Amino acid sequence: MTRAEATRLLVERLRHEVVVSNLGQATVDLQRHGNRPLDCYTFGAMGQCSSIALGIALARPDVRVICLDGDGSLLMNLGSLCTIATLAPPNYALVVWDNEVHMTTGGQPTATACRTSLAAIARGAGIDKVLEPRDEGTLERAFDRMLGEDGPFFVNVKVQKGRAEGRLDRDVIAYKLRFMKALAALPREPARR
Amino acid sequence: MIDPSWAKHVAGALRRTGIDLFATVPDYIVSQVLEHLWADAGCRVVTVCREEEGVGLLAGAFLAGQRGALLMQNSGLGNCVNTLGSLCAASQIPVVLVISHRGDLGEFNPAQVPVGQATERILDALDIRHVMPRSVGELEAQVDGLVKLAYTRQLLVALILPPELTGGKQG
Repeated sequence: MTRAEATRLLVERLRHEVVVSNLGQATVDLQRHGNRPLDCYTFGAMGQCSSIALGIALARPDVRVICLDGDGSLLMNLGSLCTIATLAPPNYALVVWDNEVHMTTGGQPTATACRTSLAAIARGAGIDKVLEPRDEGTLERAFDRMLGEDGPFFVNVKVQKGRAEGRLDRDVIAYKLRFMKALAALPREPARR
Repeated sequence: MIDPSWAKHVAGALRRTGIDLFATVPDYIVSQVLEHLWADAGCRVVTVCREEEGVGLLAGAFLAGQRGALLMQNSGLGNCVNTLGSLCAASQIPVVLVISHRGDLGEFNPAQVPVGQATERILDALDIRHVMPRSVGELEAQVDGLVKLAYTRQLLVALILPPELTGGKQG
């Protein structure tokens, strides 16, 4: 499965969820297949995507927050998994598009191409709901669980290597303001999730 | 003479500016401020594994409408330089940095000195406005304005806690 196909399967299930996407490929795909005001694109600070999403989840416990990270980026900030497990926000889900390479820089292998399992690390960090869908059917069921149950969830999705189609739109400040306004406009309703 | 109430004043000043989320990697000095924050039911303190993670977390909280401060040692400032630049400065996301100053007057640990001495220059290199109050009086006179500046123009700002204020750490 490609990251774009997996992104589409997620986006078609979304209602009022925040989606935070990792710099580079994950953001290109989300801009192309999502482009929702509640998308929070990141453009720099490799590794910080899961932490940014965690901060949003803590500040808005009434809103489900989904982070779309990459294997290379999460490997830079593995401590984040421990913080997620410790705080255990029920409205938080971390999806990793694990293509086993640094795609943006030309496809150099990451540690997940060899012996490292991010799912095992997430379990070891203390996250209980760790899912490893292997095909479209199990991915759809994983997304349905992640969007319907209390988390935190960690979902490791092995995706094909390959660059996203289209170009990254780097209108950083405009996207930030669009997201902040959209989230602020979402009434605080404990029952939404 | 060190005013033993300095830590209470730091916590109080941060809280009255509307900051109610704190991230930290503690050290001996910062922990004295944390004591007051942990005892305050109106705010939340998150201990992160690495200071950089705290920058990301507080940046996210700001996007969701919450003000945050990161409490750390100046060694932690070194750990989060890129994220301060390429996340907060690039996207105009304010975070208040509260930095205990090791490696200066009275330091006993040689490992603390290089980054301690570089602290203000690191902040200057990133265009981060900073204050370094040496008394409770100076602290009280500066913190409100520093935080107001941060949120007026969505800037990073830093409050450095020097040994003249805190007594430092005795080796």
